[in-house]
Amino acid sequence: MTPSLREKFLTYLLVIIILVVFMTPIYLILVSSLKPSPIMFSRPPRFIFTPTLQNYYDLFTMRPFHLQILNSLLVALGSTAFSLTIGTMAAYAVSRIKHRRINDVAFWILSMRMFPPIAVVVPYYIIFKTMGLLDTPLALIIVYSTFNIPLTVWLMKGFFDEVPEALEEAAQVDGHGVIATFFRVTLPLTAPGLAVSAVFCFIFSWNEFLFALMLTGSKSQTVTVAVMSFWSSDAVQWGRIMAGSFVILIPGVIFVLTCQRWLVKGLTMGSVKG
Amino acid sequence: MSHTANRDRRIAAVFLIPAIVVLFATTIYPMLYALWLSFRNYDLAKPFIPRIFVGLANYAEVLTSKAFFHALITTFKLMAMTLSAQLVLGVGIALLVSQKLPGMALARTLLLIPMMISPVIVGLVWLFLYFPELGYLNYFLGLVGIGPVPWISSTQWALTAIAIGDIWQWTPFIMMGTAAALQSLSPEPYEAARIDGNSRWDVFRYVTLPQLKPVLVSLLFLRAIDAFKIYDIIFVLTKGGPADATEVISLYIYRQSFTFWRMGVGAAASFVSLIIISVLITLFFKQMQRGQAARAR
Amino acid sequence: MSSVTLRKVVKRYGQVEVVHGIDLSVEEGEFVVLLGPSGCGKTTTLRMVAGLEDISAGQLEIAGRVVNDVAPKDRQIAMVFQNYALYPHMTVRQNMEFALKPQKLAANEVSARIAEAARILGLEPLLARKPAQLSGGQRQRVAMARAMVRTPKVFLFDEPLSNLDAKLRTQVRVEIAKLHRRLGTTVLYVTHDQVEAMTLADKIVIMKDGHIEQVGSPEEVFAKPRNLFVATFIGSPAMNLLPAKVAVVNGAPVLVANGFRLAAPPSIVSALDPGASVTLGIRPSDIRVDEAGDYEAVVEVDEYLGTEVLLNLRAGNHELVAQVPAAARPAPDRQSVRIGFDAARLHVFDTQSGEAIR
Repeated sequence: MTPSLREKFLTYLLVIIILVVFMTPIYLILVSSLKPSPIMFSRPPRFIFTPTLQNYYDLFTMRPFHLQILNSLLVALGSTAFSLTIGTMAAYAVSRIKHRRINDVAFWILSMRMFPPIAVVVPYYIIFKTMGLLDTPLALIIVYSTFNIPLTVWLMKGFFDEVPEALEEAAQVDGHGVIATFFRVTLPLTAPGLAVSAVFCFIFSWNEFLFALMLTGSKSQTVTVAVMSFWSSDAVQWGRIMAGSFVILIPGVIFVLTCQRWLVKGLTMGSVKG
Repeated sequence: MSHTANRDRRIAAVFLIPAIVVLFATTIYPMLYALWLSFRNYDLAKPFIPRIFVGLANYAEVLTSKAFFHALITTFKLMAMTLSAQLVLGVGIALLVSQKLPGMALARTLLLIPMMISPVIVGLVWLFLYFPELGYLNYFLGLVGIGPVPWISSTQWALTAIAIGDIWQWTPFIMMGTAAALQSLSPEPYEAARIDGNSRWDVFRYVTLPQLKPVLVSLLFLRAIDAFKIYDIIFVLTKGGPADATEVISLYIYRQSFTFWRMGVGAAASFVSLIIISVLITLFFKQMQRGQAARAR
Repeated sequence: MSSVTLRKVVKRYGQVEVVHGIDLSVEEGEFVVLLGPSGCGKTTTLRMVAGLEDISAGQLEIAGRVVNDVAPKDRQIAMVFQNYALYPHMTVRQNMEFALKPQKLAANEVSARIAEAARILGLEPLLARKPAQLSGGQRQRVAMARAMVRTPKVFLFDEPLSNLDAKLRTQVRVEIAKLHRRLGTTVLYVTHDQVEAMTLADKIVIMKDGHIEQVGSPEEVFAKPRNLFVATFIGSPAMNLLPAKVAVVNGAPVLVANGFRLAAPPSIVSALDPGASVTLGIRPSDIRVDEAGDYEAVVEVDEYLGTEVLLNLRAGNHELVAQVPAAARPAPDRQSVRIGFDAARLHVFDTQSGEAIR
């Protein structure tokens, strides 16, 4: 349907208003992170000023933000690698096994992702305390895998379902075993799925706050907890908070801009076709 | 043993068992631990007091406490506010940006960004906007003669303030799902309606909406499950306050466990909330399986 | 010694039995086609031979060895799949190499076999391409080459032409026939297309609802269908069927079909019981249309096909299709024609059982 000129104008006007509303907070993070403290809350707000990297400088000198970035990277990459390995294998099983109860197994795995984290924070705290894992990256790697494995299983199941079984049967008839068929035939065909699952696992781990807050101390603090701590310390350091926030949101923004077509799949667990 | 059943079994053993073992160890075990805790008098601040078995006392306390029911009601109130707004806004925006006009694809992409931002950052940036005396939101509202609104410092507004943050972050989710569903709709019914001369509203009401319904139900379930778990943004903005105005279930459990150090009570509340969310999850799975069955046809 | 033997082979999925005790033997070097409508169990049977489905009961022998519980790879078979099942991420050469890998052959043997297959099937210029860069016919040939390099005892084909357009199908059909002549390997081939079956097969196995209806050469199943199902399934346009009764006139049985009185085929006269209900089958090409015909019929529609014409006739209560050479086409204004039948070419079936009377 070709809209009239007036309709087009109205559409664009509305879309621009919506974009302004939704983009303003993100824009504010960037602008405020570049603002010197004295004009942080000036009235009227200053949008034209000499940007300064002082806040970023402070972030890495007054605070060990680079170490916290390393912690976050270690945790996120560790959990991604672990979840991807375990989750991809399970996804393959769920996709291929024909038993009628296999769907129940798949849903059970998915449900593990949906329970409220707060309900298990205390047990985790106690368990990790007795194991001496409190304030270690390993604790977070384990905990994040509880939601990254189900995510991987469901994402990869969708990709495996699309690999024709005849391909595997052909390999089977030719004499390749289950493992060789999986690695040589099936897995290479789901490489995009692996990439998408990896990015999702990474970003969910990178963004996580509650477990990181409860299970880490100063040693293995992650970026989200660190940024929050700028708020609760004696004086609110808005400049640093915004600089830290901007650093934290970079991976997510890159992901959205580069692979937005996978977001539907990843966020709706396949309940909506993407 | 037949060799094809053998193959299934081998796939199960090699591929599935590791995930099940890991999930049992990392999820079911802590849940069982929580269950065990919920029958004990466990005070983490006093580690030398024996963790005596108290039977259902913790559950009795939770289920008769006003604070717990208040938290439950607050959770559902927040859920109702955010879900209804996200549904209306999300579908509306999806219809708008699904038009085949230049630039709409970019708009759709940009609108997805809030979802991928850490909830803590979402909390912080809204805190920046709401900040008493300093926040820019009241400044801009003042320009059009509204306010100042005591966003996070009044019991009256705090829940709304939190809802706005959540709506900002998750309206894109409904938008994204709806836009994806809209794209998969067949154009023929629209062409038929155009030839028949139906009004736009009628087309939306009788052609689009019924086809979107299953998708919207799934999306709302996912949002509801998430809304039930909401924690980070409230922790940043109000920590459940002022007074108990924004104390949702998660914050209640947090406060019992880490402010009062009453792990047993916190665990009992956790278990009650696990049961409630299990109902939501089960309903969602039913919906999903219906969707799969419908797609298979 | 036959190459593939099925003895009372049964397939069940839970409670549902889909293949009901099939007996079949495929001789060494024979080209056998399993033919039937969809859901008749032909693909399931093929997949049991391949080892992709378990055999619920019965016995399967390949090259004299019972292979019920032998994994597909150890059955010395190769299979060409309906959608070709080419590995999309591998080139044509890699597809063949991967198929040979489990045999652990020397490198020069591998390349020799690939070169040979590529030469026979004309794939030499395509070896470095990936399946996505090939046409449907080329993909089909790669699938055959991939099966060929393994030098199997038995080739299995699962509807290999169903994804090709009509023209290509004819071409590839001829190539498959040539390949079989050249290699002389035993072939078990599944299709629902009777033309493929008739043109390729040494022996056709017609299946329906998990049973074998008839086994025979293409000539046999066409000329001597054992029952009504085979009679109507083979042949295009389909055989005309007329309900009839056996009457006795002057001591000889006569087939009376509402206005028609036809002499019984001499070969079955003794098998006909007076008064029995039978079904007459007359192939469209067996209806004579000429002035000498015994009966009058009205041409309702004539369909001109180039070399021949299909006449849709009405004779009394009967609707018949006759196939005549285009040269013998009645003039368009000629509404009425004479038709006749040749007793020797009548097929007679017991109406109750559907079995041919012979």
